[in-house]
Amino acid sequence: MTSKKIILTGSFGVGKTSLFNQFIFSKFSDKYLTTIGVKVNKKTLNIREHQVNLLVWDIAGEVSQDKVPTSYFLGASGIIYVFDLTRPLTYKGLVTDIDYLKQLLPGGVIKIVGNKKDLLNESELNEILGHVDLPVNITTSAKTGENVEQLFIDLATELI
Amino acid sequence: MSNTNHPIMDEALLDRLKEILLKDDRQELAEIKKILESRQHLSEKVSPIIEEHLSLLKENFSTEYEETINKLIEVKLENSQEQILDTIYPALGTMIKKYVTLQLETLKESIDGTVKNTLSFTAIRRKFKSVFTGVDESDLILSNVRSANMEEIFLIERNSGILLGTASIKKTIDQDVIAGMLTAIKSFVEDAFKRESLELEMIEYGGYKILIQTFYSYYIAAAVDGTLTTLEKQNILQSMHDFASKEIPNIPKPLSNENELISSKLKDYFIKGNTIASTKY
Repeated sequence: MTSKKIILTGSFGVGKTSLFNQFIFSKFSDKYLTTIGVKVNKKTLNIREHQVNLLVWDIAGEVSQDKVPTSYFLGASGIIYVFDLTRPLTYKGLVTDIDYLKQLLPGGVIKIVGNKKDLLNESELNEILGHVDLPVNITTSAKTGENVEQLFIDLATELI
Repeated sequence: MSNTNHPIMDEALLDRLKEILLKDDRQELAEIKKILESRQHLSEKVSPIIEEHLSLLKENFSTEYEETINKLIEVKLENSQEQILDTIYPALGTMIKKYVTLQLETLKESIDGTVKNTLSFTAIRRKFKSVFTGVDESDLILSNVRSANMEEIFLIERNSGILLGTASIKKTIDQDVIAGMLTAIKSFVEDAFKRESLELEMIEYGGYKILIQTFYSYYIAAAVDGTLTTLEKQNILQSMHDFASKEIPNIPKPLSNENELISSKLKDYFIKGNTIASTKY
């Protein structure tokens, strides 16, 4: 079994911890509790004939990524950058943030995720995606669980 | 008729004579010229000689050039003293500081112990008890001390926090998660206080301690329950160093969590017998 360290990052309140809880425990809570520091948990996925231990680091949200302690990113194999589809401020600095993360983790897999899709209808979603400066890998809803497992499966598949 | 009357004829004869006498030399010269002007031909002739010299140089390099190289190194070291000190000073300073702190703590504990043992009511009572019951005083002291147990030991990749191996005497929560969280706490503390070349060495809550010894690409964490004296703490840290220098080199690289040998070596080395006293230090 191989183990991979995955970082969940993005601005505060975008739903990183909700994605984390939905993926690890299949649970969602409406209560907003800000993450202090970092929380680590794991889930084992079976990808084809491989078993992959994903060690997910849920990092406290910061307005820009250069505020996150760089040591958290050391040894990571992948980064999930989450933004809130309903709050433009959370994807305004996307290009700068992704450039910064690519420098921190050269060769690592970075997934750009638009969360809270349950709050939008299809046309609203498409309009918003048209305003995002970089291609979005997947849109998710931590509340309904839509695409959450798929996000991690896609990431793990790229890592093995 | 004299030859001097026919200089042109003489010259022709001389040329002819030269041609006859120098024929072989000229041929050889032409051959040499051909070799020198053709890179391929020159290479065929010269390469074996260069190779021979190179192999001789390889064999005798240390004896032939030892003195010259030593002089060069001496000069370089002398000129770079400040740079070298800059590099090793932080590590050296930390080591010395750690050693002095530990020794002072040990000394303080020893003085405190002596004062308490001699003057305290408990000590006087213990002395009486020893006299009347016949039980040795040191045995009475030992019976009052709660022995420390090494409950878990982890070998963790330093940057990623991925668990490389573990051994424990009791079932706790997922050990991969413990390794990840320990690394997160360690990273947070080291990052937050920005103390260069310092590492988190211990986490303590109640009677429970996690001792941490950090190496270049991994760190060892030992979870200990019970009262731990400075000397015992020092011994555990020493045993971690010994494990890193004696056991880790025998484990195939790169160290990986798929290698079960790591956990079995950790178990043999640290957990055997269930108490700190029985670890190999």
